[in-house]
Amino acid sequence: MKARGLLGLVLVLGLAASARAQGLSLSLSAGVFAAGQETYREIYGPGLPVALEGWLNFRGAFGLSAGVTWLRDDGSAVAVSGGGEQYPLRFERLTFPLTIFFAPRLKGLVLRLGAGLAFHSYREKWQTVDLGFEGTCLGPRVCAAVEVPIAGRLSLFGSLVYESIPTGVEYTRGERINLGGLQALGGVAFRVR
Amino acid sequence: MKRARLFLPVFMACGLLFALSLPRSKPVSLVKVLKDRGPVWAVLERLQIDVRQELETCFLALADREDLRALRKNRVAFSIIDREAGGIEDYFIVPLRAPGTLDELQARGRAAAVEPRTAVFWTTAGLPMEVLPSELPRKPLSSSSVLPFLRAPVDIKRAAPVSAAFQDPVVEVLAAQVSEAGLRSLVQSLQDFQTRYASTTQCEAAGEFIYNTFSSLGLDDVWFEPFVFSSGYQSRNVIAEKTGETYADDVLIICGHYDSISPSATRQTLAPGADDNASGTAAVIEAARVLAAYPLDFTVRFIAFSAEEWGLWGSRDYAGKARTAGESIIGVINLDMIAYADAMPEDLEVIVNGRSEWLAERLIAAADLYADLTARKTVDPSFVYSDHSPFWDQGYRALLAIEDNPLRNPTYHQTTDTIDKLNFEFFTASARASLALLAELAQPVREGYPRTPIGLTAEPVVYRSLFNAVKSARLSWAAQAGTSGYNVYRTNMSHLDYVKLNDAPVTSTTFTDDHLRIDLPYYYVVTGVGTTGLESNFSREAEISPDNLMMTTQTQVLNFLQMLRAR
Ligand SMILES: [Zn+2]
Repeated sequence: MKARGLLGLVLVLGLAASARAQGLSLSLSAGVFAAGQETYREIYGPGLPVALEGWLNFRGAFGLSAGVTWLRDDGSAVAVSGGGEQYPLRFERLTFPLTIFFAPRLKGLVLRLGAGLAFHSYREKWQTVDLGFEGTCLGPRVCAAVEVPIAGRLSLFGSLVYESIPTGVEYTRGERINLGGLQALGGVAFRVR
Repeated sequence: MKRARLFLPVFMACGLLFALSLPRSKPVSLVKVLKDRGPVWAVLERLQIDVRQELETCFLALADREDLRALRKNRVAFSIIDREAGGIEDYFIVPLRAPGTLDELQARGRAAAVEPRTAVFWTTAGLPMEVLPSELPRKPLSSSSVLPFLRAPVDIKRAAPVSAAFQDPVVEVLAAQVSEAGLRSLVQSLQDFQTRYASTTQCEAAGEFIYNTFSSLGLDDVWFEPFVFSSGYQSRNVIAEKTGETYADDVLIICGHYDSISPSATRQTLAPGADDNASGTAAVIEAARVLAAYPLDFTVRFIAFSAEEWGLWGSRDYAGKARTAGESIIGVINLDMIAYADAMPEDLEVIVNGRSEWLAERLIAAADLYADLTARKTVDPSFVYSDHSPFWDQGYRALLAIEDNPLRNPTYHQTTDTIDKLNFEFFTASARASLALLAELAQPVREGYPRTPIGLTAEPVVYRSLFNAVKSARLSWAAQAGTSGYNVYRTNMSHLDYVKLNDAPVTSTTFTDDHLRIDLPYYYVVTGVGTTGLESNFSREAEISPDNLMMTTQTQVLNFLQMLRAR
């Protein structure tokens, strides 16, 4: 419900902005995610996110981007006091970022520096025991992306994103679970107009 | 003169600076912390608040300014009862049984109602013992923190009523040996001391009588434990022990106070206390007589406490020392007024705190099976007015068996509390029920059966993901000769409704129980199975305690409901 509302907002903003838009490009990328919290890293290690984003440039140096990132991570439950059992786990996260960026004019490449908000929907499942948890939350993000044109409308694309994903769920006394971290992505971008 | 005028303000400023630089003394307040919010247990524990009393709806705690600030910050609902708390021994919990009680208390000292039926009383003028109305029972705040023993209630429902309740022929034989004539003679003997008001020589003589009676029964040990009470008086608890054959260090207690009271004008010379509490004392002695000849797995102590009427002095002394010595007390059966029936059939009221509920459940079953008596459970941590409550304060499981709650005996704390008012049919049934529970828990050793397994331990192993966790219990025990295998049982409620986990007997001495919920306690026992298929008594319980590792604040709660036994 919340996700649909946000998507609608993105669409409306996108349409409104495209009236004044100067250019639009789409990027498809994949890479690696390193969680900020030790607990996450201990259980899942680095993750492999895939992202699809649209980058809308306004007249001037500003623009708006929106998209979707999908992350799936397999891990196994950590034995707190030295047990030998294996409990495979799967973690999945779907993220809908909305970012306002600044793109200084540079020769030969497009650089974008952005900040915004993302809606996250996540799910953790134990594979061999009927145990699971689902949740949604909003969190801030900052990003830097670069496009290096290679041929015609096609560019090489790279981005670095830092997100905070505060779930509000308490893990141990005091520590609340934050699913955020740093992700580095590489791929291609296609200039639509 | 001029110099002096300058000197004065400088001196005052220096004085002020000095005063400010001194470490602040910490004035301590007596506060009432409301229980209603679930996380309050965790918060109290995290803040290490000095809780001195658990009541039904609140805790009473000592808190300095820092504690108060921390409580506020954590949004714990509390109110201050006494801003400058003095000595702890000065605060008494008293029941508000009649409408005018609070006014009367406030006329005699300072008092505040902390619950509809419970007040705290304190005074700086004289001993509270002398100031409090004699008909009011009283309990001082615990002399040490009860925080280590507080545990948030776990919502566990008993799966099935005791449909499988099994009438143990040995226990049946033992219960039948409780004799009405024996009880009658014991109550008469105790009443014949005229008064057993603690501090009188007759009370000490009654203690001597109990000691001699215990000594004549052929138990393993009988001794006095003297203590000082109410700054200067002396009295003695009388203790008899039957040492366990299998578990000498794990103790079950059956107890009652032998001292008595009547109004202040008469109590030095006349306080017959037939119901309160020659009845409970007689039942304790009778239980000792019946069990003396029978070998039991666990140690049983028969205790007659003194100075109960003065504020539970004997039992506070005993329970405090037991905790300091790290004694393993499995359960306490406290009998106080079990012989008066205002109408027949009379039910036996069983009062417990949350952690002791299993004792009440077991007494209800035993009363039904072995004494044809209806017993009723009341979970009320505010009912602290007898010798069970010092055991609660020390984290032990204890029950109070009492004829009525609220009391209906019109001779309560009067010179008219005499043997002729007692109902011996009800009394004998009450004594039988409590003896049956004691025997069930202490486990008669049976000839020809495999020996009870020993050395059971349970090690928890926690496995956690980001949002969930499961636990395994690794059990191990000592090999027992003459045993061809073992059965392993589990329950979430101590001493109740054990469920067997293995199909065929386990031939090794280890067992792993997987996929346990992290937030529940688990209790295990094992039995030995002999070559002919006979099964031994239960071992002592090994516990896996619940973890606070995960405290979710969201409502998309852990989907624990159906724990698949994977594989
Ligand atoms: Zn009493």
